[in-house]
Amino acid sequence: MEKIKGKVVVLGNDVDTDQILPGYAMAEPFEELGKFAMAGVPDMVFSEVAEPGCIIVAASNFGCGSSREQAPIALKKAGVGMIVAKGFARIFRRNAINIGLPVFAADIVDLVKTGDVIEVDPAKGIVTINGEEHAFRPLSDNVLKTLESGGLIPRVRKELGIE
Amino acid sequence: MNLIEKYLAKAAGLSSVAPGQDISCQVSYCAAHDVTAPIAIKMFREIGVDKVFDPERVVLIVDHIYPAASEKARDGVWTMSDFSKEFGVKLYDRGQGVIHQIMYQNHRANPGEIVAIADSHTCTCGGYGAIGIGVGSTELAAAMATGKLDLEVPEVVQVHLTGKLPSNVFGKDLILYLGSKFGTDYLVDRGLIFTGEGINEFDIPERMTVCNMGTEIGSMITLFGTTERENDVWENYEIDLSTLEPQIAKPFSPANVVPVKEVAGTKITQVVVGSCTNGRLNDMEQVAKAFKGKKVHRDVNTFVVPASKEILDAMEEKGWCKIIRDAGATVLNPGCGSCFGAHEGLTSTRDVVVSTTNRNFPGRMGSMKANIYLASPATAAQSALTGEITVPAREDA
Repeated sequence: MEKIKGKVVVLGNDVDTDQILPGYAMAEPFEELGKFAMAGVPDMVFSEVAEPGCIIVAASNFGCGSSREQAPIALKKAGVGMIVAKGFARIFRRNAINIGLPVFAADIVDLVKTGDVIEVDPAKGIVTINGEEHAFRPLSDNVLKTLESGGLIPRVRKELGIE
Repeated sequence: MNLIEKYLAKAAGLSSVAPGQDISCQVSYCAAHDVTAPIAIKMFREIGVDKVFDPERVVLIVDHIYPAASEKARDGVWTMSDFSKEFGVKLYDRGQGVIHQIMYQNHRANPGEIVAIADSHTCTCGGYGAIGIGVGSTELAAAMATGKLDLEVPEVVQVHLTGKLPSNVFGKDLILYLGSKFGTDYLVDRGLIFTGEGINEFDIPERMTVCNMGTEIGSMITLFGTTERENDVWENYEIDLSTLEPQIAKPFSPANVVPVKEVAGTKITQVVVGSCTNGRLNDMEQVAKAFKGKKVHRDVNTFVVPASKEILDAMEEKGWCKIIRDAGATVLNPGCGSCFGAHEGLTSTRDVVVSTTNRNFPGRMGSMKANIYLASPATAAQSALTGEITVPAREDA
């Protein structure tokens, strides 16, 4: 899997799915979901800080709460290229990987500020901040396989022999 | 191996498993509701198979936004109805109740079987001994096609229960208390098992309440085991139930928990009793018992939401609906109702809610500024009567 480089948007602990995509927006069509991304985060207008290819950097338990896949879809539609957090809630992490949105566990929230540019090599586990390399646990082979297929559905199609 | 590992090994067709191992498990049931099913169906169609793994074991349930509160919500129901006809799977679309309650009543997995539902509160199954795995829509679509679910075997934390539960303390108080002890991320990717003589203090509906909120403290699998202590676990905790007192989660996290007495006297404007967490008959009984011959406080909107039609039927038979309505509260139709901020009781900035539901995140019930407290039905019902957060009286002291 290739390296991912982007501008950072910093968030805190326990960013929950009601903040990532509020309940009132869940029935919106996929294509519209990007407009509601992070609409529930207090005191922040996400579209003002996010740009296509940006990397969200957060603290622990990112994506806690609901199993709504609309949450990672909204982030993907809003142009988020990757999420790096100290920790992820399990269902959110799997949802993101399943729709082909890379997530990476690394505790770097105190090393960056919104607007910084970082580079992540998920297969090697290296995050480069201000030219300095920081080593973390690489993504597992299983996760890399799903991401490289473009998500779980293309992977399952391939495994079932459907072209 | 501990009980969770034994169950996972069996579902994976292996003689043994160990923490960290990636396994592929046979699922007993797949289910989704009106928020997650439309996406799961879209993804399932993208896979391109012409049948589900077993039509008897795939269930679709309209519970989140019923009756539809928007044209888009109604479109989602049509997607489910078309799929149900085409693939021959069961559809509940007449307000029969919340997915986890319908699965318990009508499609109950056996102990140790794996249930994959596209909803985070699937862990509720642990109350009746099944392994409930909350998944997203795409993962569910893959499971609907293949009958398999990939899992990683978790490290297991054991909570060994002893002692007798005070009469004003319930399953809800136990799981909230664990939130105060463990926080929201200690149990992420881990399993949680309850053992010890103390498990007999909780009947199955109460065990379902405890397991339901396992996901709020990060747990991947939450399960009631046996009275026997498990020896092969990652970490051990002991709780003497007789020392517990009523608990409440303050805004804005289900793990921001204190004993109710610490916030007693806080003025409130809304009470919600219901949801997959606390919408069962034993919960409704607490409300009817508290409200009998009384009126809820003038300043408190009170919504009571049974988790299924069967529960509502029983409430009517017992005269509880009338007791609740005569007290000035409203009995809403079975479903997810006021829990998640889409309809049926949205808040404004001025509201302070005591709810028996499972989340009090900012904006969960409408306004980002509304303060939501999570507590047991007994605490919620008493607070509705007094207009302020109130510790329910202990009868056995």
